[in-house]
Amino acid sequence: MEKKDILLIKELQEGIKLEKRPFLRIAKVVGCSESDVIAKIKAWLTSGTIRRVGVSVKPEASGYICNALAAWQVPEEQIEEVGNGIAEMPEVSHCYERETPKDWPYNLFTMIHAKTQQELDSIISTIKKKFALTNCRIMKTLKELKKTSMKYFNEGENDL
Amino acid sequence: MDDKDREIVRLLQTGFPIVPEPFKALGDKLWIDEMAVISRLARLLQKGVIRHLGPFFSGTHLGYSGVLAAMDVEPKKIAQVTEVLSKKSGITHNYLRDGSPNVWFTVIAKNETCLKSLLSSIEKETGIKDVQLFPAKRLFKVRVDLE
Repeated sequence: MEKKDILLIKELQEGIKLEKRPFLRIAKVVGCSESDVIAKIKAWLTSGTIRRVGVSVKPEASGYICNALAAWQVPEEQIEEVGNGIAEMPEVSHCYERETPKDWPYNLFTMIHAKTQQELDSIISTIKKKFALTNCRIMKTLKELKKTSMKYFNEGENDL
Repeated sequence: MDDKDREIVRLLQTGFPIVPEPFKALGDKLWIDEMAVISRLARLLQKGVIRHLGPFFSGTHLGYSGVLAAMDVEPKKIAQVTEVLSKKSGITHNYLRDGSPNVWFTVIAKNETCLKSLLSSIEKETGIKDVQLFPAKRLFKVRVDLE
């Protein structure tokens, strides 16, 4: 990645400032034009380097206080269908197939958000029924201990 | 949070306008003026309802390595482990969950070597040897607006 791109990423990941021309300010810092910044963001959105431009919301602030990591045992030949199927559910924010340690048979990881325990239970039973899954581990979120966004290309990163 | 706030948040989950005057563009969609959009967003950010406004980068596209990790920590050691993990910039998420293992966290580093050394520094500093790793094999969904 070019030096200027890295500079732009470092500036962008600090967030978009609340001002009339936020991309113009970033352009001045990086040393390019406002339209360069805009073009670059669009290109990165297309390539997937930027997943999305927008807001992240604290789940609790929107009433999602009952959250769980649910890991499912899904046979490899069904993973595509089940993974894509669960991914379509709006209550599910994350869905990954993962490699697992030897004693851990649950290979499909999903993050489920609900407003009440009852709602959470019903989402889980819907998934079980819809995809004929029996083995799972439901790990309710008891406490958020840390939540930040990664600062890429930062000085002193990974200082141990 | 009133209906207009909710509308702003909903609109911004689909996408922030990538144009020279984005807040004006948002205002036009919401039938409010640019300054009203800005002051509402300022309040939502200040209250912590919105955590971040901007682009969300994909670590893998930038060449970074990441893994989901978990370890079993006895209740009296949780505060100490949390402190170790909180200081490290490569640990972006850390949650206490029920069951065993109970501490689940994500580790991001600029390459595999750095990832390994970050993990071994965690084992060393927490005194917990059996950190279990769950590397992603396939991504089906990640929706960063709610996490």
